[in-house]
Formats: sequence, C-alpha cells, structure tokens
Amino acid sequence: MSKKILLAEDDEDNRDLVSFVLMRSRLGAELIIAENGQEAVDKAFEHLPNLILMDMQMPVMDGWTAIPILKADKRTKHIPIIAFTAQAKPEDKIRTLEIGCAEHYSKPMDPQELITLITKYLAE
Amino acid sequence: MTVHPQNTAQGSPSGGPDKAAAKQCLLAADRHLKESRFQDARAEIEKAKKLDPGNVYVVAFLDRINFFESEKKKEAPPPPPPPPPPPKPVPKPAAPAATPAPPPAGAPPAAPLHPAPKPKESSPPPTATEQKAMETTLEEMKRQIEMLSHSLDQERKAREEMTKQQIQANVLQLRTSMEKAWLNGAPNDQEGEELHKLAVSLSIPENVELSLRREVKLKMYSNAVKEVISKRQLLRSSSSTLEWLRKVYQVTMEEYLEYETKFLLDLVADQYKGTLLYVSPNLKGKDDLLPRLKSAGYAVVLSGTPEEALEKIEKVNPNLILCHTEFAPGSLSGIKFLHLLRASPKFNFIPFILLCEPSEVSQLQSSELRQHEGFLKKPVDADELMITMNEKLTHFRDYVSSLS
Repeated sequence: MSKKILLAEDDEDNRDLVSFVLMRSRLGAELIIAENGQEAVDKAFEHLPNLILMDMQMPVMDGWTAIPILKADKRTKHIPIIAFTAQAKPEDKIRTLEIGCAEHYSKPMDPQELITLITKYLAE
Repeated sequence: MTVHPQNTAQGSPSGGPDKAAAKQCLLAADRHLKESRFQDARAEIEKAKKLDPGNVYVVAFLDRINFFESEKKKEAPPPPPPPPPPPKPVPKPAAPAATPAPPPAGAPPAAPLHPAPKPKESSPPPTATEQKAMETTLEEMKRQIEMLSHSLDQERKAREEMTKQQIQANVLQLRTSMEKAWLNGAPNDQEGEELHKLAVSLSIPENVELSLRREVKLKMYSNAVKEVISKRQLLRSSSSTLEWLRKVYQVTMEEYLEYETKFLLDLVADQYKGTLLYVSPNLKGKDDLLPRLKSAGYAVVLSGTPEEALEKIEKVNPNLILCHTEFAPGSLSGIKFLHLLRASPKFNFIPFILLCEPSEVSQLQSSELRQHEGFLKKPVDADELMITMNEKLTHFRDYVSSLS
C-alpha cells in the first residue's frame, strides 16, 4: 500500500513545487493537499497520512493552531509533522518542536534536502 | 532441341501462366534464330505461347523469325527444285515401350505436345502493309512497356511512402511511450525494459532507439528545468536544484555541457545578458569564475582550447570571448587565437578579454590592443572582470548600433 503525505500549504506555487519534487522523487507516495489548517486537520483525520508537511502561516487556521489539535488526537498524534516556515529564526524552530513537530524546515526549499527528509520520515 | 523442365507443361502448376518457362522458351527460340534454325525457333515460340498466352513478346518474336527467314532466303541461291516429297508416314499408335516415362510425383500432368506450325515454304519480303503492321505492333509494345514501367515506378514509390509512414508511426508511438515514462525522471529498470521491448516489437533499430531515448530524456529534463526555474524564488538554490534534476533525469555531465547554453538560457531567461565563450584549459578543475558569470546572467559556453573555441564560435555566436593565454603544448595560445579572430571579418569585432599570467602583463601592455579587446591579470578579481566585461560589451553595443 502506498504511503500518504498530507501537504498543508496555502500558496499554490509552493504546492506545485512540492508536488513536482515528490513526483520526481519516485517515492510512490500519494500526496493529499490541504489549503489551510482546518482542511489539514479534517483530511488528516480522514486519510491518516504517514507524514504531514505543514505550512505555519495559513488562512482560516494556521499551523500553530492545527498541529496541537492533531497531536491531541490519539488517531493522529503519532504522525510525524514537518513544519514549513519562511521564518528561519532559532526561536521559531524551538517553538515548532515544542508543539510537537518532528522537524522544522525553512523555506525556500531545496529539492534534494526535502526528499531526504521526507524519505527519512516515511521510512520510520 | 533445348529441353526445359516445364516445356511440356501447359501453364504453371498453379494453373496460371508460367512466365518463367515461357521466358526459357523465348530464350531458346532466340538461340535457334541466331543459328537460323527457324523451325525450332517457331516450335519454342509456340510452347511459350501456350505457357504464357498473354506474353506480348510472342507475336513480336514470330514476326522477327519471319523477317530473318525471308532475309536468309534472299541471300541464299535459289534451291534446286525439290524432289517429290515422300509420302508421310501414318502415325501409328505408340507402342507401350515408347510411352514416355510418367512424370515424377508431384509434377503437373504433361500436356500433349502440339506439333510446331509448318514453316512457310517461302516468305516474300514484307509488304508495306505488313511493315506498317509490324511498326504498329512495335509501337504498341513500346507503349505497353512504358505503361508497365510507369506502373512499377508508381508502385515502388507507393511502397516506399507506406514504409516511411509506417516507420514514422512506429517512432512516434515509441516516442510517446518514452515521453510518458520519462515525464518525472528516468524510468525504473522494469519500465526501461518495457520500452526496449516495445522498440523491438516495432522493429526500431537499436541506434534509433538510443538516439530517441537521449532526445526524449533531454527534452524532459529541459521541460523540468523550465518548470523549476519558473518557481526559482521558492528555491534555495537554482544550481543545486538543477544538479538534483540532472540526477533525476540521468543527464550525464557530457550531455549537460553539450546542451548547457540551452539549459542556461532557460535558467536566466529573464536576466539574460549575453552569451560568453569561455576558453579555459582547466575546465575539469575548479573554476571560481564560472558560477559568478552564470549568476550574473550570462550563458557561458565552455571550450578547453582555442581550437575547440574556433569550432564552436560560429554556432555559439558569442557576445564576448574570455580566454586564458596559456594552453597545453601543441595548442594555440590565447594571443594567437586573438590574432586569428582579428583576421576574420566575421569575428574581429567580438569583445575579447585575455586572462594572462603576471609575467605577460608588460608584453600585453605594450601590444596594440583594440578598443573592444582587453586583458586581466590572474588571479582574476571577479568584480574587476565584471567591470571590464561591461565596458567591452558597451563598446560592442555601440558598434552594433552604429551599423544600423
């Protein structure tokens, strides 16, 4: 059964780019898209993905709110979450780890680095 | 008399005209005719007629025999009056011993031999009407031959066109499958094997398959580069992304370098400043100038020697040439290369910057460099290089503007 990755990202170009990179990674993972935090929570409960890539700044519900909801639910608390953020300050990184993210990834993206990271968490 | 394997058979075993056997009879008739054995020749013609009733040469051959026979008679002295002919023996039914051997198993049943037509006792020279008829026959034969040749030619062309179309359709089918397989990078082993099997089943030669594979791969890589570049503001580094894509599409460094200008143009499409021909002996080593030149918006085409640069220059049509002065023994020097370009009206206006050794500075200072030519001492300061390049390119632009 193929692995599932939930991408919560409001920016279309970023969604396209992650999709582009994943397609070329040949990981064979299914990509589920959510355009805001609320949709991410709903789709996470529905699909129970193997990994969540969460942008922290989103409309409706941001990642800072969505992640604690997911970590509080027994169905999704074990799912590793990689926080996507354009803020590269050390305190942001610490904060994302504190709310339960497995990793903090600063934009802009590096395809090879992103694939390595995704591969690592899908293997787990 | 010449014996042919089929000359007793009427038609081919399949029932149709036996053209091959008829041809043999005609050839035999020709030999008899050359030996003035007109009767034998006629007999062969008769056989040919039976074997292939539609053969257009039969009538013509009979006319030819008649003609030769009459000519022969004209040459010969008049024969003495013939003795009274002996009474013709009444044919007796063949004795069992004289019965011809049965045909071998599988052979078509032998047709009864028809007696050859009696030769004419004396053929008068053809009359004008007969001559006219012969000419008409010949004309008709010529016309038929022309028609046949034309039909054969048309058929050959049609067959060639069909083959060409079939090959094109097969190549298109393989290309479509390859493009699908290469869309997201190099296909895995299983997909690669399937593509190869498809190529074999379509009778596509291996060299064509390999060439098509390379073409599709570079096309897909180029498309991916374009797609990535359109989002380069989201990427940390364009060059590392391109390097990642190069691996994803299994584009070798040689292939990359071959198409580098095109890829780089994709990369710097909106900040393209011009094409540089960079002639450097250390292409395989680390060259700090390259990334700087590329990030400044130049498409850089590399050459390892001036000789290689001379081969590329017409194709590349550079806006500026950057050239080291020293190359491996046996190769032209940078200064010699400059002199060669100066001698060419096609290239003598291209801005040219020499990257020289400190020991060469005084020599170059005293040389009469032109306005669009310059030099920089190694190690080259990148900022100084950019300033010099802009200066020379400005001169180049002014020169080009003055032409209009």
